[in-house]
Amino acid sequence: MSTILIVTEIQNGSIREASYELASFAQKLGGSVKSLVMGQGVDALAEEFSKKGGGEVLVAEHESLANYNAEAASSAILAAVAASGADVVLISNTPSGWDVAPRVAAALDCAFVSDCFQIAEGPVLQRRVFNGKLDAIVSVEGTVVATMQPGATSAFEGSSDGSVSKLDVSIDAGALRTRFVETKQAESKGVDLTKADIIVSGGRGVGAPEKFQEVIEPLAQILGGAMGASRPVVDAGWLPHEYQVGSSGQVVQPKLYIACGISGAIQHLVGMKTSNFIIAINKDPDAPIFEVADLGVVADLFEVVPALTKAVQAAKGG
Amino acid sequence: MKIMVCLKQVPHQDARLDIAADGTWIQEDNLKFEINSYDTYALEEALGAKDAGEAEVFAVSIGPDRVTQALRTALGMGADRAIHVKDPEIDGSDALGVAKVLAAIAKQESPDLILMGMMSDDGNFAAVPPMLAQLVGLPHTTAAVKIERANGSVTCDREIEGGAHEVVELQSPCLVAVQSGINQVRYASLKGIMAAKKKPLDVKTAADLGLTGQVGAAAAKAKIDKISMPVKGDRAEILEGSTDDVVGSLVTKIKELGLL
Repeated sequence: MSTILIVTEIQNGSIREASYELASFAQKLGGSVKSLVMGQGVDALAEEFSKKGGGEVLVAEHESLANYNAEAASSAILAAVAASGADVVLISNTPSGWDVAPRVAAALDCAFVSDCFQIAEGPVLQRRVFNGKLDAIVSVEGTVVATMQPGATSAFEGSSDGSVSKLDVSIDAGALRTRFVETKQAESKGVDLTKADIIVSGGRGVGAPEKFQEVIEPLAQILGGAMGASRPVVDAGWLPHEYQVGSSGQVVQPKLYIACGISGAIQHLVGMKTSNFIIAINKDPDAPIFEVADLGVVADLFEVVPALTKAVQAAKGG
Repeated sequence: MKIMVCLKQVPHQDARLDIAADGTWIQEDNLKFEINSYDTYALEEALGAKDAGEAEVFAVSIGPDRVTQALRTALGMGADRAIHVKDPEIDGSDALGVAKVLAAIAKQESPDLILMGMMSDDGNFAAVPPMLAQLVGLPHTTAAVKIERANGSVTCDREIEGGAHEVVELQSPCLVAVQSGINQVRYASLKGIMAAKKKPLDVKTAADLGLTGQVGAAAAKAKIDKISMPVKGDRAEILEGSTDDVVGSLVTKIKELGLL
């Protein structure tokens, strides 16, 4: 029987949805459930979480935990692991979660598995490799620190018997070599894809920057929509960052999303999979994009997209 | 300052992936390999510091003979020297095993800054950088998109959700794991490639690093049991037929959605 430690995360003054998803995973795995809430002035949040799936909640209060600090967070998590006797440590695969979790695993000299979307007895974890192209089943020996993909399960909505207790954390703020400076909000976008009804996006398969103007943009224009792109396109400098759809770009939910030459890395899918209707055009029948698409075309985008542009133009009577 | 750049050689992003006979990894024979894309940005960042006359840069990679190619490329691009950790005993290491090997190198070399990609294009674990920082006792950050070096510290913008950035200051020595796309990666020039042939490329084994028995498959605490094609439960309805047929169906659908 496992002892599970849920490491919660606070965002904008409340415990984020992903932490409740960890509570769901913990319920599913079964075992004794304990949680860590860390920050400054977080007693009320800890109280609330203890009754909503968190079980025995340990509260780590410290000024250096008020904003994310890898060294301070790592100390608090290690103290919670020691106090709880946890052998399964669950952390959300968020920017702070992925940053701290491997550090904790190295300090514990234990197994680490990241970005999992399923956990079962063993524990056995399921995740993707090769940028989403293949599924991997990972087994572990002894204690495991696992990060779980946000959105992979629904948030825990039941109630639980819980308790809250203080956790002693000895963090010497002066000895930390990491300092949180500030959070800079996203700059206002020249291109606001979140308001578009239709988005036509291109990926690495488009092949060259000028092909966006020649092939992708005309379809977007004739449909009265906007043009988007996947991360590799922006990384290669073909289009500016404001066109990027994905977890590190814009998260969009248009009425129609047309993905052209996009294989569908997880970070892109996170940014568009809740679109109302998704059409994917890709040469590779095994591309992960077809898993989230409603309609798929396995073909060369350079044949299909220009033909579609013409057909739409004809349908519009022009 | 001394900068250590960790490079992983991974299957080419466009390589066809076939599952190996034992079902736990892909068939690597006859595959084309390249430097992990994230790591190329880390290398470029280091070479930028070298160009400014501020750094000595050495590259480290772990793996079989083929890894020499990745290190030669790094030398051709401008790295001063390279270390190739080559030992069958290290094969099958989990992320922590890899971090232990790199930590042993870092302890021998005492770099002021360790740069590497935030994840690999094959395993996608994103585990080694924070582990390495912990093992060496360094502060670290991940998903860095802007790195500013000052006297005794490094200040980074790290990418967080929704396009926002978190600014974090690390005291040197430190480790920075970079996000992809943060700079324009140079190509190795012909002159660079010629010069690279004379640059030092040291080969080390697990024993050289005092790690006998501590790394490799036997020491791995996390193991991939099986890889497979993802289950395609509710995948897309695939349109068949000629381009005209397919386009006709797409137009009909777009009309049904009320968008045309």
